[in-house]
Amino acid sequence: MSEISGNARAERRTRLVAAMADEEIDVLVVAGNPWRSDYLRFALDVTPIEGHAFAFLEREGPGRIIVEHPAEAARLRSEQPQLQVSWSPSPIAETETAIRALGGRRIALAPLAAVPHRLAIGPLGSSVIPTTALLDRLMLRKSSSEIDALRRAAALADQGYVAFCDAARLGRPEYALVADVEAFFRSRGCPENFQILGSGGREVRGMHAPTERRLVAGDLVTTELTPCVDGYYAQICRTLVLGGPSEAQERAFAVYNEALEAGITAVRPGATAGEVARAQNEVFRRHGLGEYVTAEYTRVRGHGLGLYVDGRPAVLEEVDLILEPGMTLIVHPNTYHPEVGYFVHGDSVLVTPEGCEVLTRTRRRLFSVPL
Amino acid sequence: MRRGLISWSREEVPPSVLDSRVARLQGEMQAADLGAALVYTSFARPSAVAWLTHFVPYWNEALLVIFPTGAPVLLAAFSKRVLEWIRSVSHLGEVRSAPDLGRAAAVFLKERSPEPSRIGVLELDALPWTVAEPIVRGRFDELVDATGLFASIRQPADDAEVRLARRAAKIAAQALGAIPAGVQRASEVLSALEASARLDGAEEVLPRLAPDLRADATLRRFEGDAPLGERYGVELSVAYKATWVRVAQCFSDNGLPQSWRGAAEWSAQAAARLSETNFSLEPLPPGAPPPGRLTAWTLEACFGSSPLSIAAGSGAPARSVLPAGSLASLSLQLSLDDGPWLRGEPLVVGSGSRPSRRLI
Repeated sequence: MSEISGNARAERRTRLVAAMADEEIDVLVVAGNPWRSDYLRFALDVTPIEGHAFAFLEREGPGRIIVEHPAEAARLRSEQPQLQVSWSPSPIAETETAIRALGGRRIALAPLAAVPHRLAIGPLGSSVIPTTALLDRLMLRKSSSEIDALRRAAALADQGYVAFCDAARLGRPEYALVADVEAFFRSRGCPENFQILGSGGREVRGMHAPTERRLVAGDLVTTELTPCVDGYYAQICRTLVLGGPSEAQERAFAVYNEALEAGITAVRPGATAGEVARAQNEVFRRHGLGEYVTAEYTRVRGHGLGLYVDGRPAVLEEVDLILEPGMTLIVHPNTYHPEVGYFVHGDSVLVTPEGCEVLTRTRRRLFSVPL
Repeated sequence: MRRGLISWSREEVPPSVLDSRVARLQGEMQAADLGAALVYTSFARPSAVAWLTHFVPYWNEALLVIFPTGAPVLLAAFSKRVLEWIRSVSHLGEVRSAPDLGRAAAVFLKERSPEPSRIGVLELDALPWTVAEPIVRGRFDELVDATGLFASIRQPADDAEVRLARRAAKIAAQALGAIPAGVQRASEVLSALEASARLDGAEEVLPRLAPDLRADATLRRFEGDAPLGERYGVELSVAYKATWVRVAQCFSDNGLPQSWRGAAEWSAQAAARLSETNFSLEPLPPGAPPPGRLTAWTLEACFGSSPLSIAAGSGAPARSVLPAGSLASLSLQLSLDDGPWLRGEPLVVGSGSRPSRRLI
């Protein structure tokens, strides 16, 4: 664990304990799993890699966690010797028993995204939504240590994209590109990365996990890389052409680049996530591509970044969450283009008191890999 | 949070194999008078749906709905444009985009099964509340836990699953063999494992490392880096086409210690001895004591949505649903005179008279 990570843990703990005191919560119970580990990471600085995990955090004291596997228990004891760690093949029942043993203390359960049915129908069920909202508020605005981790993750994403370009060669299957990038990230001490990609032409409607499809000349190769540093994810989206780009591909890039720049320009304190989405979508509408910013062709125009790869806010026109300094997000006008296929282009940004700082350093261009 | 190759080869897993698995479940559903069964899947809990349909979500979540007859229906919280990809990698009757998964499931059940009927849910306790709530609100009295029912048909493994496990085991063994001699840092080991396993077609690679085995045998997840000791241990869990195996091996800079040879021989005998009537490495049979102290062991298999769950082990009660022919992974740790020693390997559980088949 780096010194910065230690700082982040202490900062998060301080903010969380203060919030618990404000809400008169004696014990916070946080659920998680290998996919939704973000709230656990925030509360107790742990990242489960197999099975369910349930953390108990009091305003004072070291914290406790129940996991599903003995190897996970041994690992967490090694990572944080002060934690009380136990394991059970029935961790949900074990957690229910532990909650009952807390008696009449004020207990709250979160997050909504990971709380299982059995605990939600119990006495803490009514606390899930307000407690999740409390944690969300704390997790949206990043502290200086958290921002430092995000900066390093964004720098790693930049390096990862160089590795991706090096890997994208004629005849290679999509999964070989992912193999090279994952090996690169591991060589830099990066434990997690969310990556999807696509390759081909007009027939490609999105990105997905890698397939056996082999790259051919003229392919647009899209990717979204999301490496993790000290628990924090930053993302980059770029598109490359295998060989020289066609005029249609160059024209499409110009639209996406204009949309990305418009979206980034809209990122400032006081703006809503919806305004950032609208700024991007208006560019497509001006170019007669308004149909392609609907749910039929795309999901979001960006999203929050932090301890989860796809966090709040979703950058959609109807989202009225107000941006504040310290929030981090990716702006990405990714969608289908009728002439060239699915196209991605996105940068990670930090909302600052003055406006916005772009964390991604990779040039905004349509990359081309020589044949 | 990584996914490598996700694809479906009809030669490796013919549709008839998946149909047969679904039919086994439907047979049990009919016997239990279930009008439908719900099986949840996510990045963290992909295995049950993958076993029935070959679908593995690279992110997001989905709910498989199985009726007593007919092909399964997948409600997937993915956008519509991903449905074509889902169809290309899985064997399903119908796929529906369902961004609000729980609500969509409640509506779908009402539409397809309007009369009250018992609905079995695999791991009902664990169903995420966001998915469970709309279903529970609609049909609270009719939901029953189907965990035991599913576990009763999940093992033994069929030939297709054993073939996938052999391939996963080979990928893992080759990845361990790809670690360069003389490596100095954990990141070099982890990078070599990722590159080898994913280039060989691994869907998922989950490494843990004990970087200095003499000092500490705890297998760790790495953020950052660490220097390697003269001896280190690696555990590598690999998924190939949704079939998981776990292997572990120790490495030494100074050649293979003599003590490790004896430990490996004992471990092989212990693995072969496991059977549906003997899920224990303790007590040890007469004449075959380990060359040291057995400090921990687990036998893991897939019975539900988790890739590998504890079937037996030190400090764990043995399950009664792991019949001969089950696919499992044995992990053990010995304390030898010259330090700790780790080993892990996949196997097919033997019967009372037939030894277990080791897959590496």
